This record gives sequence, C-alpha cells and structure tokens, in this order.
Amino acid sequence: MATFLVDGQRVETRAGDNLLVAMLRIGVHPTGGGCLCLGGDCPNCLVTVDGVAYTRSCQVPARDGMVVQRDHLGGEEPALLSDEPTSAGDAAPVQHVHCDTVVIGQGDSGREAAREARDGGLGVVTLNAREGQHVTGVYPGPLVVASDQAGCVLHVHPRREIVVATGAAELQPVVPGSDLEGLVTARAAAALVTAGIDLGRAVAVGERPAGPPPDSLVAHFPVGEGGWELVRFEGDGRIEAVVLRRHGDADAAEERIECDTAVVSLGRSPRNALARMASDLPVRVVGGAAREPELPPCPREGTVCPCSGVTVADLDGVWERGFHEMELIKRATLAGTGTCQGGVCLPYLRSFLLERGGRLQPAFTARPLNRQLTVRELAAGAHTAVTARSPLHDEHLSRGARMDRAGGWWRPWTYGRNDDEYRSVRERVSLGDVSSLGKMAISGPDAEAFLERIVPTKVATIRPGRCRYVLMLDERGYLLDDGMLCREADEDAGDRFFLTSTSGGSSFFELWLRDWAEAFDCDVRILNQTASLAAINVTGPQAARLLVRAGARELPAFGRHRHVRVAGVDCRIVRLSFTGELSYELHHPAADARTLWRRLLTAGAAFNVQPHGLETLLRLRLEKGHIVIGQDTDYDSTPRRLAHEWAVNLNKGDFVGRQAILRTNKRPLDKRLAALRAEDPPPRRTAEDPSAEGAAIHDGERYAGYVTSDAGTTAGGGRPMLGWLYLDAEGNLPREVTVDGRTARRVDGPTYDADGERARVTVEITSESPQSLREFPVARPEATDLAAEAPTGRPRLRRLEATRVSATSAALDALIEQPPWLAGALAFRTAPDELLVAASPDFEVDDDSHAIVERETAFSYVWLEDATAERFLDRECEWRRPDARPALAQGEVAGIPAKLWFEPGRTLILTPAPFADAFQRRLTGSLAETDGDAA
Amino acid sequence: MNEFVERQMKLTWRPPKKSYDVVIVGAGGHGLATAYYLATRHGMSNVAVFERGYIGGGNSGRNTTIIRANYGIPAAVRFYQRSVDLYRGLEEETDRWLMHQQKGILWMAHSEGAVRAERMRAKLNTEFGAQTEFVGPQQVKGLCPQLDMSGGGRWPVLGASYHPQGATARHDRVVWALAEGAMERGAHVHQNTPVDGLILDGERVAGVRTAAGDVAAGAVVSAVGGHVSRIAAMAGLRLPIRTHRLQAFVTNHYQRQFGPIVASSELFFYASQTARGEMLLGAEIDPQPSFSYRSSHDFVQDVCRRALRLLPFMSNLRVLRQWTGVCDMSPDYSPIMGHTGVPGFYITTGWGTWGFKAIPAGGEQMAELIATGEVPELIAPFGLDRFARDRTMADRGSAGTH
Repeated sequence: MATFLVDGQRVETRAGDNLLVAMLRIGVHPTGGGCLCLGGDCPNCLVTVDGVAYTRSCQVPARDGMVVQRDHLGGEEPALLSDEPTSAGDAAPVQHVHCDTVVIGQGDSGREAAREARDGGLGVVTLNAREGQHVTGVYPGPLVVASDQAGCVLHVHPRREIVVATGAAELQPVVPGSDLEGLVTARAAAALVTAGIDLGRAVAVGERPAGPPPDSLVAHFPVGEGGWELVRFEGDGRIEAVVLRRHGDADAAEERIECDTAVVSLGRSPRNALARMASDLPVRVVGGAAREPELPPCPREGTVCPCSGVTVADLDGVWERGFHEMELIKRATLAGTGTCQGGVCLPYLRSFLLERGGRLQPAFTARPLNRQLTVRELAAGAHTAVTARSPLHDEHLSRGARMDRAGGWWRPWTYGRNDDEYRSVRERVSLGDVSSLGKMAISGPDAEAFLERIVPTKVATIRPGRCRYVLMLDERGYLLDDGMLCREADEDAGDRFFLTSTSGGSSFFELWLRDWAEAFDCDVRILNQTASLAAINVTGPQAARLLVRAGARELPAFGRHRHVRVAGVDCRIVRLSFTGELSYELHHPAADARTLWRRLLTAGAAFNVQPHGLETLLRLRLEKGHIVIGQDTDYDSTPRRLAHEWAVNLNKGDFVGRQAILRTNKRPLDKRLAALRAEDPPPRRTAEDPSAEGAAIHDGERYAGYVTSDAGTTAGGGRPMLGWLYLDAEGNLPREVTVDGRTARRVDGPTYDADGERARVTVEITSESPQSLREFPVARPEATDLAAEAPTGRPRLRRLEATRVSATSAALDALIEQPPWLAGALAFRTAPDELLVAASPDFEVDDDSHAIVERETAFSYVWLEDATAERFLDRECEWRRPDARPALAQGEVAGIPAKLWFEPGRTLILTPAPFADAFQRRLTGSLAETDGDAA
Repeated sequence: MNEFVERQMKLTWRPPKKSYDVVIVGAGGHGLATAYYLATRHGMSNVAVFERGYIGGGNSGRNTTIIRANYGIPAAVRFYQRSVDLYRGLEEETDRWLMHQQKGILWMAHSEGAVRAERMRAKLNTEFGAQTEFVGPQQVKGLCPQLDMSGGGRWPVLGASYHPQGATARHDRVVWALAEGAMERGAHVHQNTPVDGLILDGERVAGVRTAAGDVAAGAVVSAVGGHVSRIAAMAGLRLPIRTHRLQAFVTNHYQRQFGPIVASSELFFYASQTARGEMLLGAEIDPQPSFSYRSSHDFVQDVCRRALRLLPFMSNLRVLRQWTGVCDMSPDYSPIMGHTGVPGFYITTGWGTWGFKAIPAGGEQMAELIATGEVPELIAPFGLDRFARDRTMADRGSAGTH
C-alpha cells in the first residue's frame, strides 16, 4: 500500500501498481487524453512527479509520498528570488557496470538472449524497463546509459555485444477523436483488467486482444481487408462511441457503437530506435524489435504526432508546399521531436510519404535520448576540470587574499592592499607565489640539441649555471609561450636543463615537448615538475638581505641560478626579473613550500615584507613593458610583431618556427606590439573600469590598433600601456597616437628603470659581522649534555641535535620569558625571529604564534677552550673579543659560515653540517700551525 | 494545434539543366543565401544549388541558432554586425515568420582575466558598431534571474558583457525562406544530388559532375560544410581546415521565461530558450577532428554538470534530444570567403561554430563577389590567401566556446 498525492488529492494504491494504474484505479486520467499504451511508447500518460515534468506515469512505480501533478508541464514554479543564490544542483550518483553482453529489454526475446549468453559463459547484464532501468542511449564506447530505480544512473560498458530486445510498440490510432480519454491499446487493456480495473463496456478494434479478454468486451471489429476501417472516436472529453465502416468502401454506411472504452490493436511497430542510433556498434537486435515495421494505412484525418500536436492536415499542408523529404517534414511540422521521439508518428509519417510520393522513405535519424533523464541524472559521474591549487593556497587565504582563477590555477589576485603590495616590491621586499609556473626538467644525451630545435634562442651558449629568457614558437612562427631556460651548474650531472613556461601553458607544453622529442628522435628525458615544485619569487631591493637573513649563504648573480639552502629548504634560486626589481625565484619541493613561505615572511618581518598578488604583479611588469602571454599576444603573434626579435637567433640552425619566420619576415610588417605612455591626466574611463584595455588607438583619424594592457595606474609621470599598433599606409609605426582622445606616445624602453639597473644590481653578500652582537639578545644558556661537554685538546666537530623555532620576534620573546620549557636546554637567539635550541627539549609552542618548530640537524658544533678559540679565530677571521659573556656572534670563519657562542672560559662554534669536514680540516690545520706560536 | 508548423513557405523543385551561370555546391544556409542574394540583389537567377541530402540538413539545421556580432577583431565585428542587421530585416524582406527574436546575450566572467576580456570585448565592439557593454553582477541577475550568481559557490559571476542585439531565429526557416526566395526568382535547388567531381577546362573550373550528370557552370561556389576539404581537393586545393564535431541538446519545455542567451567561456557552455520553451545548450567543439554525426554521452554529461553550476533550476528538466553537427575549423577561428586562386572556383568555408549567424552577410557578400568580380571590402580580409600572406584573422572572441 502506497499513499501519494495527485493534484493535492490523497490516493492510496496497491503495492506493485505503477503510477498510471494507480491513478486509473480511482478514475483519474492524465490530462490531454489519448490512447494509453502502458508500454512507455506514447506521450499520453505524462504527468509531473516530484517536480519532474514530462514523466511517463506508466513507467514509474507508485511510491509512498510521491507528489503528482496531472499537468505534465510541471505547473507554476515558486517565484525566483532575485538576489538570493539558489543552491547548485548536485549530480546524481553513477554506477559503472562492466560486462561481456548487455541485454536491453527483458521480455521473452531478451530473457532468451540473456540465457544464451550466460550459457556461453559470458558475463551478462540485463536492463529491464519494468524495474525502472530505462535506456537513454547507446553510444560509442560502447556505452549504454540507463536510469535505475535506486536513483543512480547506470553506465554499462559491454565488452562484446549489445542486444536490443526492446520488443515492439503497438500502433496508436490516428483518427479524429484519438485524443479522447478511454482509449487503450490491447496490451494496456489486458494489464488494466489484470490489475482489476473495470473498463466498462469495451469495444475492440483491430486484432482481438490476446490473453484474458475483458469481461465486458461488447464488440470486436477486425480492421483491414475484409474487415472494417476505423473512422473516428466520438465523445466529449471521454469516449462515447467508436465509428467504423466497411473497409475499402468510402461510401459505406458508418457503424456507431457506444462504449466506455475502446481497445485498439492496429499492429506493431518495432522499438528499434536504440539499434538505429548505434548502427556502427556491435549491436544485435532480437525479437519484436528486429521485425520489419507494419505500416498502417495512410492516415486521413486526426493527430499524427501527439507530442507536437501535428495533424494529417498539417502534413498535407507542408507536402503541398514542397516539403517532401522525411527529415524536412519532421522539421517543418516538428512531428517526432517530442517525448516519444517518433514512437507514435513515425509509422504514419512513412505511410503518408509512401502514399503521397510513391517512395518508402527511411525513418528519420534516431537520436539520444531514447528515454529522457533529467539534467541532474545525466550529470552523474561528470568531472569538471579542477582548478589547481598552489601548496600555499591556505597561506594566502589566511592572509586575507582574494583568490582568482588564472591559467588553470587559483592564484592570489590581491591581499586587499594593492598600494602596499606595490610599494613593498618597489621599496622594500615582497613575496609572490609563482608555484603555478610550468616547470620541466629536461635531461639526456640530446638535451641541448633538442632544446636548440625547440627554442629560438641559442642554447649552446648558455653556460652551466646560467639562465635565459626564451620564447617558444609554433610551426607557423607564432608565439606559444615563454619562460626561462636554465642549464644545470653541476656538469657531472651531464646536460640537464630546467625550463619554465606560463601557468596556463604547462600541460600543453609538456605534450608539445614530448611530441617534438619523438619527432626529432631525441634521446631526452622530460619530467614535468609543475606540481612537485613550488616557487616563491622574492623581489624588491631588500630581497638579498631577506634571503641572507633566512640563511642563504650564496645568491646567484643576474642571469644565473644555483642550488641554495634557504631557511632549511633546498631551493633552486633563479635570478631574472619580471617585476623590474632585484628578484630571486626560489623553486623548491612543494612539500616544503609552507615552511619556506612562513620562514621567509618571518625573516622578512624586519623589512616589513608584504606578499603581492597577481593584480599588483600585472602592474609591476607593465611598468617594465614585459608582455603577458595571452593578454598581449594573439594567435598570430610572431616575435617581430611582438618586438621580440632579440629573442630569436636565425643563425643557429633550425628550430620550430624558423622557416615560418624566414618566410614572414619577407613580408611587410603590419602591426607591432608597442609600449605606450599616455599623457597625464590619464584617460580615465569609470571608477569601476579605470583601465583602457580594449580601447581603440587612433593615429589621427585612422584606427591604429587597441590597448592590450593598462593597469589603470601611473608611473614616472605617465601611464604605461601596451597595445597593438598598425603601421600606416607608408609602412611607418606612428610615434604619437591617441587613446580615448588623450595623447599617448610610443616609447622604446620601459617606463620604470629604463636601464634595468634595479633588476641587475650587483649584490654582495656581507655576513653579519661579530660587531652585530647586540642585535641578538641572549636566551637562557643553561646546563645540558651539550653544555656540560668540556673542550678537549683535540677538538672534533660533532653533529648537533637541535630544534629550530621560527616565529615572530614577539612570539619568541614570549617563549623565552616563559619557563619551564627551556629548562635544561641551551638556546640561541640566532635571529630576532629564530631560536636554535640544542638537545631537542620536549615543548610545544602556541599555535596562534604560527611558529614553526622543526628538528634541526643541519649544524655541527665544537667546543673550544678560550685560548684555543682565540688562537683559531685570530688566524681565520677578523673578530673582536666580546665585551661581556655570554655572547653570540655569527659570520664567516675561514670563509665558512659559523655561529659563535662565547661563555666564560669556552667558546662553542656552530657551522652548517655540510661544511663540517672542511671546517675540521681548517681547525686542525690551523691549530697545528699555531701550536708553535702558542709554545 | 501546433503554432510552429510551417504554413507559409513554398518550395518549388525543377529538373536540373545542363548548364547554369553559377553552380553552388551545398544547399545549406550559406549556399542558399548566396543564391538568394544573387537573385534578389543582382538579378542572377540562372543559378543552381546542388545538395547531396536535403536542404539545410547539415550544420544549418544543427546549430544553436544564435545571432550576434560581439566578436574580437574589427573586421569580424563589422562583418557580423552586417549579418545581425540583415537578419533583423529578413522577416520583412521575405515576408516569412522566421521566429527571429532579439533577446540579448550575456557573456559571463568568473575570473578577473575574463572580466578583463569581456570589458575589452565591449570596448572593441562599440568602436566598430556592435552594441556591447560590460554589466555588473546586479544587472546580470536582473537580466537573468535564474542564474546562481555564486556559480555553485565555485564560479561566481563577476560580471558579463551584454550584447543586446544578440538574437535567435529558427534555423530551418531561415534556410527555407532563402531557398524559397531564390526558387521563386528562378534559381534551381536540387536535393539528393551529390557533386562527385569538378569539371576542369584547363586550370579553370567549368562545371560539376553530379549524380544527375555533368553540369556546366560559369562559376562554381563551394558552400559545403563538413566535407569541404574533399570538394577543394577536386580543384587541387588544400585548405587549412580541420573538421570537428559540435554537439548540442535541448530539454523539455521549461515553464518560465528564460530571457537572454547566456554564455560562459570559462565553464564552456551556453544556454538559451527556444521559441517552444525548450532549454537549448551547446558547448565547445570536440577536441579531435571527425566527420561523424554521432552524439556522445560524455558531452551531455559534462555540459549538464557545468550548466548546473550556474543554472541549478535545470536540475529537474529532462534532456529531450541531442544531436551533432560538424564544424570546419580554420586555424585563426575566422571564416574563409572569396576567390580560391583557381579560376571559376569560389569558396565560402571555415564556418566553424559561427556559420549560422553569418548566413545573410556571407550570402550577400559572396553574391556580390560573384556578380561583380570584385571582392567586397567587408570580406576582403577573409580571403583564403591570408594564410600564405601571414595576414590571419586571429580572433579569440570569434569562437566563443570553441
């Protein structure tokens, strides 16, 4: 027993009833009338179920709690709220089923086909409409998509065969009155009688109904040769009588038989739409679906297509006006484009066209969806492309960044303080997350030769440890991408390169490289490290100081790169510049990105470091005239058009795009990307859109191009822009143009720091000298194992087991002031934001301080007696005895970075572990050489 | 009573002749429009259009019926604006109901980069005569209340370019009206008559070999969609064209009115409501080249998923029917119109995903070219020789959702 609502009326029904039977049981008929088939073949039982319109009530079991509207269009929806977001529709769940054979339909022929396949040892999946498995389509794959009663969507993947055993549909009557209520097909009649529904006085037309005839069958009229011809049904909304006459005699008297129900059996039409839509797939059609269609007589009057409401008169109308092709008739009348997809009308269309045109035309194309699932159901199992996240994503969010999609990644667009982000780069130091850069490691015997053929820059002259800006062109000489090409410094590693590309281009670019490697038959290895490496750009005049403070002991000069350990993280530091300031790009393992980011921020606190977002970056680079791929370039951007001829070496041998460049260079230049500086006051559009991007550039009256980049900001007394400029009729590039009616001049160099001195500045790393003792207040030196060690006569360096705490200066102050966690430990305040705690005491730091607490084994240490220490230090560095002890100093000893801890009577020396051997040699040697002095 | 049953147009079929002044291969929108404008603007009616199937059976009957001019390069904006204008007058000119409906198109942006692109589109369009303006989220919501402005929490609508002249028309009716107009002025259209070869007189193309015999022609125009590379090969031409599938689908009737056409180039789909009330959805072309007309499930699956992000009301609509056309894609996403370099042989191709909206202007301009022998200024930039001359019409805005 199920209880549900039909148009607000409470209906109780028997278990096993489908919705249509349940409705008919209480005398409720779907709207619109028409002959009911109970086979899912017609649109005459459509209702709205639980808000889903166009639902075939004969194919839905009556379920408890269902809300049914007889209006199959769905009725009126609640009003849309204009300003509230509606919740996103979730996709239905999907279930993938793999098998050898899928059998669609479980009538006699379907069961037989399934049994045969099983007997042959095959894995069989059956789909049974009676169990709610309605097939929407058969697709290449092969893939059979079907609904399932459980509410999920089935994706069936048969390895061998699809058996279409969908049987045959019963022909619907096409005569006047065929849209009355009270018409049923023979099979529907049998099902209704079985369900115990009283048909009243019933008249059978056509074949005598098979199975148990309705008790109340009052008459039976066979149709066709020697029998009768159905003329019309009469009634007002509901059938009252069937009218027939003798077949083949238009003048014969009409016979009118009153009835409550007409049982119609006019022939069969194979349900072969699934087979027709899959003609090139391994499909076998069996049973009724495989039979030749029985064409009904050409209809004379009435509705041919109940879905679209197309009448015989409509067919005649378009036929008379020249529409003779099946497909044209379909389009001109829309017959066959509704829910049943031609199930009702197709046989009649064919017989109509046969009679009118004397030619039997094939059925119109069978298209999915054979059974219509909802958008929600069809979305089942779909995966939308993900937008990649940098490992620093949460760091940006925690700093209040607004993330934006760019190049397939979420990137911090702004941290909400653009002016300070900008000034931080120009005046102090800033961090930019550039993890989204494409990063390829390219190695192998042919690596250099391969890259020579990929990039238009001479690769052979890139010396180990150097890097160069490179373009990447397609075969037509148009710019695909740009990046940096670094040759590894370690020559033992063979020819190894590191190549970056833009964020959006990396996945394509990997394929591009691999494709060419294969085409050129190059012995190279290409490793896409885009996701495994993160990258942070440290940029600004204080960039080097920040890095030194963060522990970098060496930094590459401009145009070089090297592996450097920064704040405990192994980095490849590349020194080029996009912002125009001193810039170090730190490529490092993605797993270390958070640690590095936090430590850099901590180390940069002294410089008031502020990360910058993409919006600021776009402004910074524009002041330098650097292009952004995709924004300033187009599909036809040759290096010449981009004014990037300098990045192309045509004399170095063949590379992708070279032939095209040689060819196009012979043609007159038509346009060129130009750096412009617009007059003050700048052309201002609106407050919401201060940018002139997209604005036309005029050379006098002549349209001369458009602006591709304008950050809406000024620099150096003008407004820097990039834009396409078309050459004039004489082949000249205009010098002075107008943008938005304001004068703009074409400039040859960047607006900002024209000579590039800021980016190329020579950096000398000066270690913090011992004089800087006072910068490092002493933490609590207390007894530990380490502290208890006595200096020996033959000092040996040993590995230090320590803990490194990185936190803000204030947080460390608080920590130091709050025993007991330091009890028993020897702690050095090695920087305002860093504490090195020997002997790894067990402690926790408040999460709120964002402190980083890590085990640190990066140092080796040795205790020296005062005299020994002085002897050694006097010889190996410039130093000054501290005024008071304890005291901490750091700098270089024997050219090796070291930290010195002076206690009364003894001195501790710490040096990075990799230097331990070298340090030991210098220490031993130095002491040996000065033995004599001491004596 | 179905108000959408065609009740006006009359198609007149005549047997093929042995010779015509102009033979057009392909009775789709562009071929028939060329015949129509030759007849109506230049008095040339000794013209035949040969069609291997039925008229409008290719992409003219498989597109998503959108008419717009909000393109990305000046030449394209001018050309498509001409087409928008011709479309607006076409019902009156042909005295036929083409279901032309101006409804406006919203091109939504979900990222700062897209906002920038749509702002640029608006400025460029305005400069070259197409109305487009950038509108903020509130206006977008006002124009299309059904939108979930948060994009399911993931694809917020930050704004859109709005092109109020964006329109739709019933694609089949456009084809039929042009066919009827050409036929009633004496042009012939021959269905079910494939062109199997070109007749060459020296270097010159002098006619076509058809299933109904050889037919001489003063000029031959290829207005073929899909298999254009094969026709061109008959004249010894290689075209920079690759053919890809493009799919679309409609849902059942949606009860409420869905006003504008909405598109998202980041979620890669667009939606509009047909005159019958169905929701019509399309998206980008299939990535791999193909001549197949077969539809795929992953297309409908993916587009449903994406559409739900912005249009969650569609959740319970049933997808009624899906279909596939094939698109001739040029390398620069712009059409190819004009001379081919082979005397007597003209071409109009490369109609990618933008062919329907160009039908009147494409036909008008091709007709002028054939009738006068002069390349009209409006289509001069779109010649086939532009690829050899490195003057491609690279147009990011063209394809929309390619």
